[in-house]
Amino acid sequence: MLNWIASMPNLSAYGTPTYFLYLLLAILPLGIGLYYGKRFSWYEALISFIFLFLMFDGSSAKQMVSLVIYVVYQTILVMGYYHYRQKNNAGGVFYITIFLSLLPIVIVKVTPAMVGHNSLLGFLGISYLTFRAAGTIIETRDGAVKEINWWKFVRFMLFMPTITSGPIDRYRRFSKDYRKVPSREKYLGMVEKGIMYLFIGFLYKFVIDYFFAQQWLPAAENMAMAHGHHLSWWVVAVAYLYSGDLYFDFAGYSLFAVAISYFMGVETPMNFNKPFVSKNIKEFWNRWHMSLSFWFRDYIFMRFVFLATKKHWFKNRNVLSSLAYMINMVTMGFWHGVTWYYILYGFLHGFALVTNDAWLRYKRKHFKGLESTALTQNVARFITFNFVVFSFLIFSGFLNTLFFGH
Amino acid sequence: MTNRQRLWRIFGPVIVACLLVGLVLVIPWRGHHSAKTIQRAAVSISPTVFKNKSIKSQAIGEKHPYYVPFFGSSELNRMDRFHPAVMAARYHHYRPFLFGAKGTQSLPQLFNMNMMAPQMENGKAVFIISPQWFVKQGVTPAAFKYYNGAYANLSWLKQANPHSPYDRYTAKRLIQLLGDNGTVGSDAKKIAAGKPLSAWDRSLINFKVTLLRNQDNLFSGLNVNENYDTRIKPKEHLLPQNYNYADLQAIAEKQARKETTNNRFGVLNKFYNSRIKGTKGLHNSQRHFNYLQSPEYADLQVVLNQLAKTNTNVVFMITPINAKWEKYTGLNMDMYYKTADKIKYQLKSQGFNNIVDYSHRGGETGFMQDTIHIGWVGWVDFDHRVAPFLDNPQPVPHYQMNSQFLSKKWCHLDPTQQNLNNFTTTELNR
Repeated sequence: MLNWIASMPNLSAYGTPTYFLYLLLAILPLGIGLYYGKRFSWYEALISFIFLFLMFDGSSAKQMVSLVIYVVYQTILVMGYYHYRQKNNAGGVFYITIFLSLLPIVIVKVTPAMVGHNSLLGFLGISYLTFRAAGTIIETRDGAVKEINWWKFVRFMLFMPTITSGPIDRYRRFSKDYRKVPSREKYLGMVEKGIMYLFIGFLYKFVIDYFFAQQWLPAAENMAMAHGHHLSWWVVAVAYLYSGDLYFDFAGYSLFAVAISYFMGVETPMNFNKPFVSKNIKEFWNRWHMSLSFWFRDYIFMRFVFLATKKHWFKNRNVLSSLAYMINMVTMGFWHGVTWYYILYGFLHGFALVTNDAWLRYKRKHFKGLESTALTQNVARFITFNFVVFSFLIFSGFLNTLFFGH
Repeated sequence: MTNRQRLWRIFGPVIVACLLVGLVLVIPWRGHHSAKTIQRAAVSISPTVFKNKSIKSQAIGEKHPYYVPFFGSSELNRMDRFHPAVMAARYHHYRPFLFGAKGTQSLPQLFNMNMMAPQMENGKAVFIISPQWFVKQGVTPAAFKYYNGAYANLSWLKQANPHSPYDRYTAKRLIQLLGDNGTVGSDAKKIAAGKPLSAWDRSLINFKVTLLRNQDNLFSGLNVNENYDTRIKPKEHLLPQNYNYADLQAIAEKQARKETTNNRFGVLNKFYNSRIKGTKGLHNSQRHFNYLQSPEYADLQVVLNQLAKTNTNVVFMITPINAKWEKYTGLNMDMYYKTADKIKYQLKSQGFNNIVDYSHRGGETGFMQDTIHIGWVGWVDFDHRVAPFLDNPQPVPHYQMNSQFLSKKWCHLDPTQQNLNNFTTTELNR
């Protein structure tokens, strides 16, 4: 069976123009159905299954096994907790459930650092599925999830357009979209937006990112490496070009995922909103990889602040928020992977958020007369942008290659 | 706004965009490349140039500058200052157009040549044969796919003759290497079975070839790599102003000594560091290598047939192997020399008489740049042998092709003198 799956052609998500041709043809009947006010659930399940299969067959066949086991495991956890929560609400049970839900990703992220190769449990998209599952458990505890069954949960987890790299949706929002069919007026609006997103995505991913990823970045990396295992001006070029690559690749991908979701009548949240015009680092995280940073904000930052306030852990509000920022961002660093550069990246961003708050307080006190002008705003943008580029250089892991040859 | 208007407003631009893209692909763009592009493409050894048509057919078709196709494989990438491209720029009238990189064995070269057959007609060419090609499996499907696209395959199928044993053989190989599905597979199946393509098959091929030709004309000239500016041009002035064979040999040997100081094999320091040092299990690793039985012999035969068809005057070179390396890895040199003999027999018995056989010269100082690729002294000697052939008029060749060289019997033949004599009497003179 596995051999047969391994011999099938593999279609990675949004990889080539041909993929879009197949995908759009496959969801065309769905679109026509939605236009006439019908949601063909079974047809949708079928094509989702086929495209998921094509994503995880061929050389990735082992990942398919991991994916199936993972989804079964999370479904059992979520359904088990949901049934428990209808009658009881003990904190210990909640924490154990969350721990079990996070266990696979912890193993997958720690394994490479411990034994030097990737865990067998891993598959493309495990991080994103973890957010969906853990988020659902938290919402269940809050009592926000009123009704759920295994089939609805599985469809939320395996919603095909967003499975490998988000955007990260919330069960409550997703299931609301899924229960009802948008009005014709609304659906046409979604299709219109979807087409625009799709074409901007093409421009980002297949045109602009081609130059960043295939032409400029490799050239700069080669030059930097040729210069020796130390910093040079080429490393600066690598930092800017990597940032361009990261943005256009990921934003392009996210636009595809949102566009396809819209065609399927689901308003998956947006992931990027002109991040590089941000005037400070807090604003940056409200514009960059938004579905991730909002997840962290709601489920880590806010939870920690509420808990600490309730238990009166800190007297000083500023100390509390600073610590919450650090916990939030360092956790995000670990989530990317257990390597020094991801963790340092998280630490830097936490530190930047703390600094930003401190500066705002300082400004309020000492620069009362400082007016917000085009000049000050652009200086702020310049500083924020360059800090972000620097942090992306750390994040890229290129320094690891440059310094240590890994 | 009615729903119909709304739908038009949403999908109208998409339809227009699709039509425009379709139009761009259908318009017969003129694929003319600048002299600069061709100069860069000639030494780019890139798969894009190799598997497309517009650049190479324009280059080989021109009289000034006079580009000569150099068919070969990975040795073409050994661009030291004595590389044929540098030597030609300094001393000769012609310019090599390099076709080949790791994995471009006979069959990819056939498809490559077929795309510029009209331009090669009655011209000259250099063909470098590596005995390492002649392994049991022949060219690998991966290498074949990398250097051969739909454009080359379809262009070949378009002109394939189901009555020719050569074309039937090639079609069979296409199926073996690519599988029998898709347009290429199903058309190759017909040719292999000796059946002509239908009118529908032909119009489908023509349609696809038209699209691919337009893409080739539009895009192949973009993004040609910078080999010329970084690896060829800067080396030209390192060569003495005036050509003197003995001087060049001495300089090449001196240069070779300078760059092979960290190892006992006489290979380039950089190559030793990255490919040999620290690699375990190399000692005696090649004891069982055998190049005597291989489908590559029949693949070579279809290439020879193609060269005969275009009446190309070819000089062949058979590559040597580094003697110290071959001793260390335990390669059977008797087998290596017999491989060269078998290749030479196939060439000579059909009238391909210009052969530079280097199989015995891998022990000379500085002749090899690394384990199996010539460099420095080897390139100087190669230039010395090849340049007069290319720069001066040559007698018209007379080839007598014999399709027995396509047979399994030939591919499997152990080339002892007696076996070769037998093959001559029972197969060739039949």
